[in-house]
Amino acid sequence: MLAGLIRRRWPLPVLALLLVLVIAGVAVAMSSSDDDTLVVYNGRSHYGDETVFENFTEKTGIELTLRGGTGPELFERLKREGTDTPADVLVTTDLANLWRAENAGLLTETTSPKLEANVPEAIRDPGSQWWPLTVRLRVPVVSTKRVPEGAITGYEDLGDPKWKGRTCLRTSNSEYNQSLVADFLAKRGPEETEALLQSWMDNDPKIFNSDGELLGAMAEGDCDVGLINHYYLARALDEDPDFPVAPAWPDQDGAGAHANVSGAGVVSTSDKKAQARKLLEYLTTRAAQVEIVKGGEFPVNEQVSAEDSAALWQTVKIDPIAVEQAGPLIPDAIALMLDLGWR
Amino acid sequence: MALTGTARRAARPSGWAVAAVVVALLLVAPLLALPASFIGEGDAFGQISGTLLPDALRTSIWLALGVGVGTLALGGGLALLVSFYDFPGRRVLDWALVLPLALPGYVLVFVVLGQFGTATPFQSTLFGDGLRIPGIRTTTGAVVILTAVLYPYVYVLGRSAFLGQSRRTLEAARSLGLSYGQSVRRVAFPLARPALAGGVALAVMEALADFGTVDLLGVQALTSAIYRVWNGAFDEAAALQLATVLLTFTFVLLAAERLLRGRRRYDQLLGEGDAIAPKPLRGWKRWLAASGGWVLLAVVFVLPVVQLAAWSLETIADGTVAPSLGKAAWNTAVLAGITAVVAVAVGTLLVFGGRAARSRAARGTTRLSTLGYAIPGAVVAVAVYVPLVWIDRRIISGADSVSGSRVGLFFTGSILGLIIAYLVRFNALSFLAIDSRMSRIDPHLDDAARALGADRARVLADVHLPLLKPGILAGGMLVLVEVMKELPATALLRPLGHDTLAITVWEATKDSRLAAAALPALLIVLVGLLPVILLVKLLRSEGWSSAAEHL
Repeated sequence: MLAGLIRRRWPLPVLALLLVLVIAGVAVAMSSSDDDTLVVYNGRSHYGDETVFENFTEKTGIELTLRGGTGPELFERLKREGTDTPADVLVTTDLANLWRAENAGLLTETTSPKLEANVPEAIRDPGSQWWPLTVRLRVPVVSTKRVPEGAITGYEDLGDPKWKGRTCLRTSNSEYNQSLVADFLAKRGPEETEALLQSWMDNDPKIFNSDGELLGAMAEGDCDVGLINHYYLARALDEDPDFPVAPAWPDQDGAGAHANVSGAGVVSTSDKKAQARKLLEYLTTRAAQVEIVKGGEFPVNEQVSAEDSAALWQTVKIDPIAVEQAGPLIPDAIALMLDLGWR
Repeated sequence: MALTGTARRAARPSGWAVAAVVVALLLVAPLLALPASFIGEGDAFGQISGTLLPDALRTSIWLALGVGVGTLALGGGLALLVSFYDFPGRRVLDWALVLPLALPGYVLVFVVLGQFGTATPFQSTLFGDGLRIPGIRTTTGAVVILTAVLYPYVYVLGRSAFLGQSRRTLEAARSLGLSYGQSVRRVAFPLARPALAGGVALAVMEALADFGTVDLLGVQALTSAIYRVWNGAFDEAAALQLATVLLTFTFVLLAAERLLRGRRRYDQLLGEGDAIAPKPLRGWKRWLAASGGWVLLAVVFVLPVVQLAAWSLETIADGTVAPSLGKAAWNTAVLAGITAVVAVAVGTLLVFGGRAARSRAARGTTRLSTLGYAIPGAVVAVAVYVPLVWIDRRIISGADSVSGSRVGLFFTGSILGLIIAYLVRFNALSFLAIDSRMSRIDPHLDDAARALGADRARVLADVHLPLLKPGILAGGMLVLVEVMKELPATALLRPLGHDTLAITVWEATKDSRLAAAALPALLIVLVGLLPVILLVKLLRSEGWSSAAEHL
């Protein structure tokens, strides 16, 4: 076909232009089918939340385009796309990601009586630029086979020299760890935090890419103690009740276990802000929350009862992250972790 | 090159040559512009140079050294064994040892990590409670994995060099009193040095470019550091600077290989029946050689593929195949298909334009467009992104001021940006495949056609294209397969929602959702086997030396 075109003496520039047009057409056609729908950048795409979004469309008639990715990926994407982003709503995990988005001016203030009724004030963003969807604890876990009950009762115990070579941590690249350390910095101050992390590093922890891998390695005997988000363990126990790892709730006599949030906000350049707000309202309703916490997280809506969610460990004493103070400390947290050799 | 009729006809340069030079320059410009990221952006680099960089640099150096030594020992050793000794199963092993080329490193990592089965419902089928490999999440682990998938480069080049050696050299060595083993070691092996060095250089470059293996193993090499900085708390300039470091590293390696090899070539003219006849091994050595080769092949290729197939069947039977798999397969097919077509068109243009060009510089420039193949995907991605997003912004503000309409990001918001990155990276494959065919077309044929009144377009359409077809098909297939397996550039540049099979495997392995990774990984390996099978066929029909040139 091409040979025929060339033979018929079509000038080269025309052929080149044709080829470029065809390709550009295909590419653009494949990429822009979302003009009329509410585009959600969904950092919770691996949490099995799709049903909630389907229910929303069914209830409101508002069509959604879900685009999945990790929290940091979505943040970078939004930032780079700037005012040209197709996104209307950002759903993401972890305060670090929410704070970065807010700090970069990517989100816009959204509020309504419904949202205020659904979400308790303690874990709200003071600027109302994002709303929390779930609560998750980042806690020490221990091998049930090799560690006696009560051996770990606080974050400090991960730095006990008796665990030297026996601890597993996730990489410092994880927002979960960054938020945890930022919260430490906010509540304990830089010196105490540095000493704490130094003691963790002195134990020569093995470093993992994900909480799931870390749990697997613990079960296999690679280490005795670790630090994870609680719902990973809830899922493992759901699949295998004999899974040989147990939570070690920290600071139950003191502040409580570090609690982080996942959340959502309306993108500042969105031209569908009213619909976007409706989505946030829906995601915090009792019905949606029951669905969302099936993966083992805790609901933010207090109307969801223990029976509704059947989530494990709802009586654990928690210490919600210092939303206002911890966010700005995240760059310091990252610098500190890298300085101390936390890969 | 003989003066042709075209060359004698002076005056203005051929339009084809101009077009080829412009396209070639467009393809390399982003790479050559990378060092500019150091201008006026000292801050970001200060931050990473104290923390991430030393570690990443050290890891990358260890990877390069480890994979270099590992592939030389494994690939060179196997080539030696198969070339000079005979043992049971040698004939099959001879070509089967090439097969691991079809296995991307990240797929092998997925299979290995999948053996830590207890955390998931996804129990290892072959090893029951799980086979544990201690220390896999280290630089050494990455070296082992990469050596296992990259040794065929050294094997193929070494094997073809050994086959090209004359029996007489060995006989001369033996007549001077060396044993068979000694003459292999002291004469045959050194003679194959340039070929082995070439193979090692290829393997090391692939190892430096690797992202999936090191990322999944939690090893921080330069490629994973680039990804981390790009998608992390740092900034674009820092990622570009890291990319420049990796680029420099690659060039130093290329230069070192050239320097070491120098002008040495040990080609020997072979008469009929002159090739080396392998010496049969006896006794336990015979079985050691056979079992060594087969066990290796089983461990690095057969078992992983069987395991993938078993897992895939399991997920199909359980109905746990991820619903997004079909979309990922479709995305992969579209990306790979479009890129292959464009790469073949661009490759033909470059090759034909280079032929039409009169100046050496113009021909050199078209060849320069193959540079991207030596450069890691992560580097290409960040290098290509910056100019594209600049153009995108111009388009948007242009459309806004002309018609007031709001348009999206043309390149970086669609798959176009990714296709351009693929093109920069893999254009070499189609170029070289087409070029090797073109060089076999006698220039007098062009002259004859032109003397009969055909213009250049007509020469291309009627004379060249039919003759180039095999090269075009081969080049297209190579690009297709490479794009399908590509991970780092895809991870950095894909539009959201355009996950490919490779991305699916990578993300699922990262989150320990192993069931979701099995079937896409198997698909990647099966499609990846196509060019390897083609290579094996070439090895068997055309002989090793000419087939090895396709590597």
